[in-house]
Amino acid sequence: MKKVALTAMTLLFLSGMAQSQQKKAQPQKKEAPVTQEEVIKVLTSGLSTDPRFVWKVQQDEAQRICSQYTSREAMPAQAVQKVIQLSQSGIRYPQWGIFWGDWREGKKIVDNPRGGRFASYGFSDSPTDRGGNCYACHLIEKGAPGGTMGPNLYQYGKKWNITKENMNSPEALERVRAVYNIIYNAWSAFPCSSMPRFGHNGAFSPEDVMNIVTFLLHPDSPVNK
Amino acid sequence: MKKKTLLVLFTAGAVAGGLLSTKALAQVEGELTPEQEMKLVQEYNRFLAEGINPGEVWYEVGKEAIKKYNLDKCDLGLGPGVFKGAMAQLPRYFADAGKVMDLETRVGWCLQKHAGMTQDQVLKFVRQCWGKTGNCVSEYDGIIMYLTMESNGQKINVNLKDPKVKRMYDVGRQVYYARIGPWDFNCATCHAGKQEVRIRATRLWSADRPGEAGNAVSIFPKYLVRWGLPMTMHYRYAECIRQMRWPEFMPHSDLAVALSTYLYGTANGTEIKAPGIGR
Ligand code: HEC
Ligand code: HEC
Repeated sequence: MKKVALTAMTLLFLSGMAQSQQKKAQPQKKEAPVTQEEVIKVLTSGLSTDPRFVWKVQQDEAQRICSQYTSREAMPAQAVQKVIQLSQSGIRYPQWGIFWGDWREGKKIVDNPRGGRFASYGFSDSPTDRGGNCYACHLIEKGAPGGTMGPNLYQYGKKWNITKENMNSPEALERVRAVYNIIYNAWSAFPCSSMPRFGHNGAFSPEDVMNIVTFLLHPDSPVNK
Repeated sequence: MKKKTLLVLFTAGAVAGGLLSTKALAQVEGELTPEQEMKLVQEYNRFLAEGINPGEVWYEVGKEAIKKYNLDKCDLGLGPGVFKGAMAQLPRYFADAGKVMDLETRVGWCLQKHAGMTQDQVLKFVRQCWGKTGNCVSEYDGIIMYLTMESNGQKINVNLKDPKVKRMYDVGRQVYYARIGPWDFNCATCHAGKQEVRIRATRLWSADRPGEAGNAVSIFPKYLVRWGLPMTMHYRYAECIRQMRWPEFMPHSDLAVALSTYLYGTANGTEIKAPGIGR
């Protein structure tokens, strides 16, 4: 604290300079409506300009559309269509196509809350922090505490009647694909959903998404016990 | 009185420190063990039952700091050194700065002007306890606590008739709904909608349920038992923005002012009751 006081004292001499800078006359402008560019400018003015993270605040077209409506119900059909189209067209699949993955690997990603955020002040995200923080918004395994923003996913595979016997049938694999699409880009099924577009945004690889889908749907997964 | 509050501060800090100091990082991430969680709830309930808010200690810290940093010259809109009721009319337009400012941004401006700090020094001063727990007492938190508590009992009254304030309110509202960042969040993802939602176990306030924005902002700075310190509004923005996976938040930025103008403007008419207390 003494040190702070000391620096404060020394810098008192410089305050005159700061003062003279404050007095810039502001010409009176006619009020034009607030533009999206202005909003983004104000928004990014308050975020770190570290060049490694600039990509994070480059708004894409779907985000721009979603920003204009306070809810999905408020969106005109045309905007809904556009977001769905943009989202579906960008979905990438694993090299081998749609097939069951490893639910244990999927569970790790589902359970990890740390994905994509800087761990604490002064630190930046480390690339090993792969996680979907799905429990923030969903109830998933029996008894595990979770959020209620999204639907309850407990017994999600059972809900779609996926069993050991039918799990490799075309119908079951169609379901796997549909859920894959939701995890890869939630906006392809639920435009402007609060659920992040994990695959689209590069948080997960196609293999990660496959493993997560397996965790949700596989008859052996604890989700369906 | 002073002795008693200091004692409370000490125990509060010790509790938070003892609970968490070994896992400071995990703790900021909100990953408490069930035992830690239980201890925390007990401590929180005890504070509630006994009507203790350790956050009040920061009022005294702030009173001293205001003298030390020449902030009795600071004009919050009602004249230099006039602090009673000043918080209630913020954010407002300041002709000397040519900008709309909220309380914290204005204090930062005053620290540059009257205490001779550079902008970088101010930012350091603001964030000295960010990400820390237990026994971290920041003079800045004290200053904000003092200045806010001087308006306790007054109703928030942001002048939305001033076109400059109104414009900042409109920008803030659109920022609130801007989907951006690597996880596509906006503020409304967590704080909108008629229906009540929880993330993990935490119930979230909503801008769409009457009175809730007012209840949320009128109790800041809010003492967090978990961290053993009061959280100012800009620290709250930083935490929410961290959860949103946006790049690190800069206090005293136009972004902060826009959010405050929207939130406090929406909260007009709500009585200021600082400090709040939460787990
Ligand atoms: C920020 C909150 C949030 C997070 C985080 C989140 N979701 Fe969701 N999720 C939702 C919401 C909300 C819906 C409902 C879709 C809608 O109407 O927008 C949903 C829908 C779903 C659905 C479709 C359910 C159905 O109706 O068939 C699945 C599957 C799903 N989420 C899985 C996941 C998985 C797996 C993760 C983690 C990788 C995850 N979610 C993370 C909010 C979230
Ligand atoms: C991912 C979810 C999430 C998002 C997105 C989010 N917040 Fe929060 N917010 C929270 C949580 C969790 C809390 C803590 C609630 C508590 O402790 O009661 C909170 C608390 C707050 C509070 C204080 C309420 C209180 O009583 O403590 C304010 C104000 C706030 N947020 C504003 C914002 C603003 C502004 C944004 C957008 C920049 C935002 N939040 C985005 C999750 C979020």
